[in-house]
Amino acid sequence: MKTNKRVSWFVLAAVIIAMTVALPPQWPAETRAAKSGSNIPVAEQWAVQVDKVDKVDASEVNLAPSFQIAIYESLLDEMSKTKRFKQVLRDGDRNAGDVSDLLILKTTVEKYTPGSETRRAVTTVSGATKLTVHSQLCKRDGRVILERTVSGNVRFMGSNLRATHNLARNVAKTIKQSSLPAASPSAPATSGQL
Amino acid sequence: MNHTLITLNKLAERLLRGPILGLLILLAGWSAAAAQDVIQPANSPVSIRVTHLMGFEGASHNANGTLSIQDDSLQFQKSGKPAVEVKIASVQDVFLGCQSKQVGGLPMTLGKAAVPFGGGRAISLFAHKKYDTLTVEYVDTNGGAHGAIFQMNKGQAEALRNELVARGIHVSDSEDETKQSGAEVTSENK
Repeated sequence: MKTNKRVSWFVLAAVIIAMTVALPPQWPAETRAAKSGSNIPVAEQWAVQVDKVDKVDASEVNLAPSFQIAIYESLLDEMSKTKRFKQVLRDGDRNAGDVSDLLILKTTVEKYTPGSETRRAVTTVSGATKLTVHSQLCKRDGRVILERTVSGNVRFMGSNLRATHNLARNVAKTIKQSSLPAASPSAPATSGQL
Repeated sequence: MNHTLITLNKLAERLLRGPILGLLILLAGWSAAAAQDVIQPANSPVSIRVTHLMGFEGASHNANGTLSIQDDSLQFQKSGKPAVEVKIASVQDVFLGCQSKQVGGLPMTLGKAAVPFGGGRAISLFAHKKYDTLTVEYVDTNGGAHGAIFQMNKGQAEALRNELVARGIHVSDSEDETKQSGAEVTSENK
């Protein structure tokens, strides 16, 4: 009986030691870094300016102005959430001229399929709103450093405008997962490309 | 003849005392509530109950409040909260649109899901409403572009649009959007 108790204590201690070795504790700072998805010091980060959304061909892509605005505003929100950039600036912001490491996010809508919330609610399988955009991260001089085609849909629940939110989230996710070249501290542009 | 008139009068009185009276009171209350959607205080030419979908700086997403034009600014005020505003001079463009949305939100969606034999889908056919959308493009003090989208009851955006036009704001004809939404609604009605 006494031997059994001793063995069980020994097993318990072994299990605790094994768990400690296998799963080291995460310190608060580490957790924060992991959550933010970026361990790049803020000083080495880029700033990003989100440009207004364009259409590839205004006659082909019949996108409502409210959708263009919604994509732009959602992109600003989602880019801030990535914590990948030290600053997120709006299109036309005069402060962009003073920022040394600035990337410009250009978004062009390539394809848009208008859906219907009612048709989605009734049929489940049809009535999806689909958006496809071409996103480019450029430097001030126009050199493209990242280029992706991203889609955003709303298939089941939610209003048509939710597609813009999903699209912006996907664009931000793509940028977050991509590796950007290190930001080099340089003199701010005098021309102030906006 | 007189007897017939008396009988008709009695019948009318009975009807008015009964469910019809209740219905009339209900209708009067409903029309009063509908009239309150467009509030026109003495100091503001147009004041409309709207839902702020996104983009108006300082206002939370999907917030219900009042959109009004006060002197030289466009103001959004959520009840019980301080108003947020932009100068009318900073407004660059205004677009009107129309969209059809399901009513009832999440409770309605859950309710529809709970209806047996796919009855919820049938309810979805009728549980939608057309709204006007007003998209306002403006710039902040730093020159940064903003876009705010408001949703309001059908027909109310026109009043606000007229007021903005009267104040010299460029309002774009967003016929494409309206046509597109119209097409969508047509297909929904089929």
